[in-house]
Amino acid sequence: MSTQQMHIDPYERNWMIFSAILLVLFATAVSVAAFGMGIQVPAPEQRVDPRTVATDPNSPWSTPGLREVSPGKYDAYVLAHAVPTWEFLPKELSVPVGSSVSFYVTSSDVQHGFKIQDTNVNFMVIPGQVSKLTVTFDKPGTYNYICTEYCGSGHGIMYGSITVTP
Amino acid sequence: MAKKDKNDDDFRPTGTIAVLAIFVVTLIAIWATIYMILVGRGGTL
Repeated sequence: MSTQQMHIDPYERNWMIFSAILLVLFATAVSVAAFGMGIQVPAPEQRVDPRTVATDPNSPWSTPGLREVSPGKYDAYVLAHAVPTWEFLPKELSVPVGSSVSFYVTSSDVQHGFKIQDTNVNFMVIPGQVSKLTVTFDKPGTYNYICTEYCGSGHGIMYGSITVTP
Repeated sequence: MAKKDKNDDDFRPTGTIAVLAIFVVTLIAIWATIYMILVGRGGTL
């Protein structure tokens, strides 16, 4: 059996090496952001029954809104629904600047999306599942949130806003 | 089998290298811009 040496063109070899270095750099940068800076993608927080999540008195989404859990820290329970009309509940939130807000968002009917402008909060809202992310509002202003998953003819009017007061 | 040209080893694909260089620089610039925007917005934990 003869030994054959594979011929690789120098340009192809250099391109493969460069591509591999680029992939390693990108993977490292993403890992640093995810694990060093806490920029995480949402994981399913808990399961709920979409048929009763908006009406069960023990469900926090039966009275959606802000809860202050400690000074400067809030939990925001947001319900998205398309019936009877396309909207987020609550439609408006207000917190002082510097507040850390954990958003617990779920849907009582169809799939929606939840994206807060100028933040890294952006996730799917799936019936039966609670999505959670936390964001700290360091600058005063108005941060709009919108539905990012097409959910029907009223998709375009699904929005709300967070007012961050000085 | 194609006959090997005596000038094959001297061939330098300047145009291809230029196009790839533009592609790579653009890719890195766009990627880095979005990355810095992402990092600048802060964590979500």
